[in-house]
Amino acid sequence: MAKTILEVVDLKKHFTARKTLLSAFKEQERSIPAVDGVSFYLKENETVGLVGESGCGKTTIGRTILRLEKPTAGKILFDGKDVTAMPSEELRKLRSEMQMIFQDLDAALNPKMRIRDILREAIKVHHDITDEEIDGRIGELLEQVNLKRSKLSNFPHELSGGEKRRVGIARVLSVGARFIIADEPTSALDVSIQAQVVNLLRDLQKHLGLSYLFISHDLRVVELISHKVAVMYLGKVVEMGLAGRIATAPRHPYTHILWSSLVGKQSKEASSAVRNVQSGIWGVFDFERAYAGCRFAPRCPVYESKEYPRVCTDPASEPQLRDVGDGHQVACHFPL
Amino acid sequence: MDAPLLKIENLRTYFYSQSKQAFIRSVDGVNLEIARGETLGVVGESGSGKSITALSTMGLISAGPGVISGTIAFQTNGVQKNLLQGLENYVKLTEQDGKVMHVSKNVVGWEKHSDRIMHKIRGKEIAMIFQNPKASMNPFTTVGKQITEAIRLHTKTKDPLEAEDRAAYWLKQVKIDSPRLRLTNYPYGLSGGMCQRAMIAMALACEPSLLIADEPTTGLDATIQSKIVDLLVELKGELGTTTMLISHDISVISRLSDSVAVMYGGTVVECGPARDILATAFESKHPYTTALLTSIPSEQNIKEKGYLQAIEGDVLDTINIPLGCRFYSRCNRVTDAIRKKCESHEPDLREISPGHRVRCWLYFE
Repeated sequence: MAKTILEVVDLKKHFTARKTLLSAFKEQERSIPAVDGVSFYLKENETVGLVGESGCGKTTIGRTILRLEKPTAGKILFDGKDVTAMPSEELRKLRSEMQMIFQDLDAALNPKMRIRDILREAIKVHHDITDEEIDGRIGELLEQVNLKRSKLSNFPHELSGGEKRRVGIARVLSVGARFIIADEPTSALDVSIQAQVVNLLRDLQKHLGLSYLFISHDLRVVELISHKVAVMYLGKVVEMGLAGRIATAPRHPYTHILWSSLVGKQSKEASSAVRNVQSGIWGVFDFERAYAGCRFAPRCPVYESKEYPRVCTDPASEPQLRDVGDGHQVACHFPL
Repeated sequence: MDAPLLKIENLRTYFYSQSKQAFIRSVDGVNLEIARGETLGVVGESGSGKSITALSTMGLISAGPGVISGTIAFQTNGVQKNLLQGLENYVKLTEQDGKVMHVSKNVVGWEKHSDRIMHKIRGKEIAMIFQNPKASMNPFTTVGKQITEAIRLHTKTKDPLEAEDRAAYWLKQVKIDSPRLRLTNYPYGLSGGMCQRAMIAMALACEPSLLIADEPTTGLDATIQSKIVDLLVELKGELGTTTMLISHDISVISRLSDSVAVMYGGTVVECGPARDILATAFESKHPYTTALLTSIPSEQNIKEKGYLQAIEGDVLDTINIPLGCRFYSRCNRVTDAIRKKCESHEPDLREISPGHRVRCWLYFE
């Protein structure tokens, strides 16, 4: 049985709106619950995919786990150690084991540093080794991520998107990370390059025994790379389970809509059936919209077809994640 | 048979890079044809020249060092018009030993001339949906004002109130609820998907004969993406507007297009009927198209948790274009018999079956 490397218990992160002259007169502070009570765990050598629409709090979870954001409530256990209240000195040591691949390629690499210096800096922060050893280590890394040596003296803007992504991955590996949060690593890449990066990530997992928290809105890639998938909606996980089951036999209406809305899956004949499920105004969600009970109810086709049952909008009975067999968890009063 | 609505022949759009002393050959000899009522899908990776082809057609290449040659024949009121007529007179190349040393361009003259050709066409006959809806709307005026402005400029409706009615009608057509209310919204008040709908409404409001949609679904969430595609499918059925759909997403292309052109490194490597090109089972096609199709995670792929078929190497650098086939360095179907040819001669785009043309040595001696 593989060891649990990361455990997140009831994590909350609420952002408070900046105080302005106007809001100072109002009594209540406005807070945005970006992550609102999320629990999951990740085993060694395993990939958990995190999917959801933009703005549902995927990235915030990643950033909070690394303590780039201070959690409002909840617990994060990495290797059994509580990260939530760890002093920064200890935290820095731990950061060499948990790293993040950032979404924005251009913002993540310093434009005024050569690739060699970018990698060297990362190694130096975490390891006390000589320059020759560092150069040897960089050579190894380049081989691992399949990047040409000649690129080392280039600046980030001289590299293509795929190469920049490789540098990002190399930097994460350079400090010796075991747990990697990959935040949309394939967005903004062309399909042919995307395939290269996905293959690379899987190879590295096989050879180095890495664990990934794979954040993406590309459902096909998530389904392919993940062992387990957690589907998020408005700061909450609404369904969690094995990747194959989530994709083929979803129980939460939201997951069903998400997967059936894959453009490619809708063959021209099937699309009308899909549209029936999706009937209702499919607007975008909004953190500031008041809701009671289930967050998804205003957009939910099941809620509509069951003629608006009260339990869905009852503030006292917000659906909680519960097991529906074989570790498949759903937060819905009327699972499909 | 009717003459095609738009016929692009040997289009070349180059940008001269002063620092590299070389041309960036973004579009390098593109031939495309769109028949009336047809939807042409243009697929390719970033940097393959899809968007530049569209911008050239719209006459929007005005940047200092941009140079266009070739012909773009467009049917307007039954007359065929070359949209690039006489533009070459405004560019002067200074050559030395066969190398371009300097490009001087009369930018003002170029723009004036281009506007003279385009002013009755752009927006009215050819409309475009841009890639980033938020960025292509004016953030300082309301959505309604922007649409009415376009209507009053390009159609016979000149009365402001009547134009507003038209605008509301078109917003309703693209399934924006309470269109009257939305007219008074500013672009930032709309979500990404709604903004894209408003863009589509604006483009369609002038009832153009050709619609160019440049990556209409990129950057939207999966759920919204499929909604926009649904909308485009529906509008296609209702209005039958001739469309040039540009996207890197093959699934979007396959749902909407009648014919497809695959671009790589500034040229079209394959074009023909959509059902032939996009069917994985259909064998005889360009190696690049095959590779492109197999690099998307397929159901099979996912089931077996197998590796993706990646195309090795990187997207072509359009400054140093190789002598032979552009795809040669990444191609996995080069055989010994044709290796020499692939390396040294660029193949032509030749017909291999009716309406289906491929630029590859595999298919002809």
